[in-house]
Amino acid sequence: MSTRFGRWLFASILLLRGKSTYERVRLIRSAFLIALVMIPLVLALIFMDGMMRGITDKYILLQDGHFQVYAREEIDGDLGDIDPTIVSADYVVSGYGIVYSKDATSEVRIKGVDASYFNDRRRGQLTFTDEPFGSETGRLASVILGKVVAERLGVEVGERVAFMVVPDSSAMVVRPVLAVVSSLFSSGYHELDSSLVYMDRTSALRYFPKDKNAYTEVLVQSEASDRLDGIASNVISQSHLDAEYATWDEFNTTVYQNFITSRQVILLVFIMILVVAGVYVASIAQELVQDSMQSIALYKTLGARTGQIGRAFFAAVMVVTVSGMAIGVAIGLLVGSQLGFVMEWLGESGIAGLQYYLLDFPVVVSWSDIIFICFTMLVISSFTVFLSLGRIRRISPLELLQQD
Amino acid sequence: MIEPLLRFDSVSKEYVSGDTRLSILEMLDFSVSSGESVAITGKSGSGKSTLLNIAGGLDAPTSGEVLFLGKRLKGMHDRELSEFRNRHIGFIFQSHILLDDFSAVENVCIPALIKGDSRRKVVPRAKALLERVGLAERMQHRPNKLSGGERQRVAICRALINDPDLLIADEPTGSLDEESSGGIERLLFDLVKEQGRTLLLVTHDTQLAKKCAKVHLLHNRSLKELS
Repeated sequence: MSTRFGRWLFASILLLRGKSTYERVRLIRSAFLIALVMIPLVLALIFMDGMMRGITDKYILLQDGHFQVYAREEIDGDLGDIDPTIVSADYVVSGYGIVYSKDATSEVRIKGVDASYFNDRRRGQLTFTDEPFGSETGRLASVILGKVVAERLGVEVGERVAFMVVPDSSAMVVRPVLAVVSSLFSSGYHELDSSLVYMDRTSALRYFPKDKNAYTEVLVQSEASDRLDGIASNVISQSHLDAEYATWDEFNTTVYQNFITSRQVILLVFIMILVVAGVYVASIAQELVQDSMQSIALYKTLGARTGQIGRAFFAAVMVVTVSGMAIGVAIGLLVGSQLGFVMEWLGESGIAGLQYYLLDFPVVVSWSDIIFICFTMLVISSFTVFLSLGRIRRISPLELLQQD
Repeated sequence: MIEPLLRFDSVSKEYVSGDTRLSILEMLDFSVSSGESVAITGKSGSGKSTLLNIAGGLDAPTSGEVLFLGKRLKGMHDRELSEFRNRHIGFIFQSHILLDDFSAVENVCIPALIKGDSRRKVVPRAKALLERVGLAERMQHRPNKLSGGERQRVAICRALINDPDLLIADEPTGSLDEESSGGIERLLFDLVKEQGRTLLLVTHDTQLAKKCAKVHLLHNRSLKELS
C-alpha cells in the first residue's frame, strides 16, 4: 500500500470535490476565523513591542542614556575609541526641582546639557519650537520645557519662569532661580513631556553640586544594548577612572519590570487564546469527519487503513489552519505597520487617556514571537486535531453494510 | 488435496446485548473453491449478510476459523485485514454505495488507488471495465446522474478493478427493478465466467441463486447445501 491513496484523499478533501456550497463556505469560513484569531494577536504583539521599544527609547535617549558613568569631571578623549559601539558620551548634570510661573507650579526633573547633547538620534525623538539654547539669555538660565509643563504653567517661549531646586543636603541654600524659556519640546510621550526640563549645563552646574549630580551619559548602538555592563566596565577601566556606573534599567526598574511582566502576561493570554483556537480547529476536523462518515466506512471496506485516512484528514485540516494563520499574520502585519499613523491620528483626536500611551509610535515586528505564536498554534492544533481524528478509528465498515 | 479459496471451520457468530445472547450462525462448515460460484439463500434476517461480512474480513466470528487460501483471518492485524480485503476481495453491495463526490471512473479507481497503483496506470483499466459494462458514454458522470442499474454496473467494475480472488455480492439486484435486475444478473455472471472469477453471492431470490454452481440455504443458523 502506498501513499498515493492518501495524497488523492488529501486533495479530494481540500479541493472540496463535489461538496455543496455550504460545505465550501464552511471551510473557507474556518480559515477566515483562524485568521481572525491571528490578526489581533499579531496586532497586539506589534503594539506591545512598539510601545515598549518606543518608551524604552524615549527614556534611554532623552532621560538616562544606555548607562551613566559617575565620574565627577568630564571623561577625556573619544569613548568611541574604547568601544566602537559607543555613539555619544555627554557630560550632564541632573537634579529635581519645582518650576513656577505666576499661575502654577510643576515638579520636574532638571537636566543640564549642552546644545551638542541634542544629536541626530535624540533629535529623532524630539520636536522643538526653537533651536535648543539658540537664543541669548544673558546671565539667566536658559531652559527648554516640555510642552505639557509649559501648558500647565501657562508660559511660552521668551517668558520667564522660576525654579526652586530640591536640595540634596542641608548644607545647600535653597533659593528661587530665574530662567528664560528658550524653546519647548515634544517627545510624543506624555510622561516625559510633563516631567523633564532641559537647562543649559553651565547654569545647571551652578545649582546642582558637581560631586553628586554630574555624570557622563553614554549612548551605544542598538545592537550593543544587551552588553551594557561589559561596555561600561571597559570604559571605566580604560579611562583609568575610579567611578561606578549604572545602566538604564537600574534607574527605571519599575518601568522595566512592568514591561517584562506585561509581556509575560500577554504571552500567557496569547497561549490561552491559541488553546481556544486549537479547540476550534479540532471542531473543523470533527465536522469534516462527520460529513465523510460513509466515505470513510467505504474506504475502510475497500481496504484503506485508518492511518492513511487519518493522515489525509489531518493534513487537510492543517493546511486550512496554516492558510488561516498565514492570512491572519499577513493582515496583522499590514494593519500593524499602520499603527503609528493610527496612534498619531488618535492622539490628535484628543481622546482622554491616550496621553499615557506613546503617540510617536515605532513599528516593531518581533519575528521570533510571531514564529513562537504560529508554532504554538500549530502544536496545539496538531494535538487537538489528532485527538478528534480518533473518531476515524471508531468508524466501522459494518456501519455501511448493516442491511440484513 | 487442493486448498479451497475460502473455508469456514465450525464458525459461530453471536451478538451479546446485556444479558441477552443472540446467536446468528452456529458451527458453520463450508468452503468455496477457486473459480466456483456459490449462492447463499435464506430469509431476511437469517444471517446471510453476517456470513458475507465474516467471509470478507469485515467482521470476526465468535468462534471457529475462517481460512482464505489456507491462511487464518482470525490472527490478522487490522492492517493485514485491510490489505487482504483490498487485494483479494471485491465487494458488490445491494445499494451499490458509490461516492457522489466522484465520477463513475473515479469511483472505480478507488480500490486500485488504495492498493497503491498510480492514476496513470489505473484510469485506462477502469475505463476499459466501464466500456465492458456498457458505460463508455457515462464515465465522467457522477453517480447521482446515473440510473440504479448503471450505478450497480459501476459498483461491479469497482469490485473487479483489483482482479480480486473472490467476488462477494450481497443482494446485488435487491434494489433494482425487474428489467435492470436481469441486465445486472447477466452482466455479473458473464463477467465471472469470462474472467474465471470466484463468486460468493447472497440473495433471497431463488432464481438468481440457481444460476450459481452451488446453492446453500441458511436456515436456523445452519447451512444446508441444496445443489
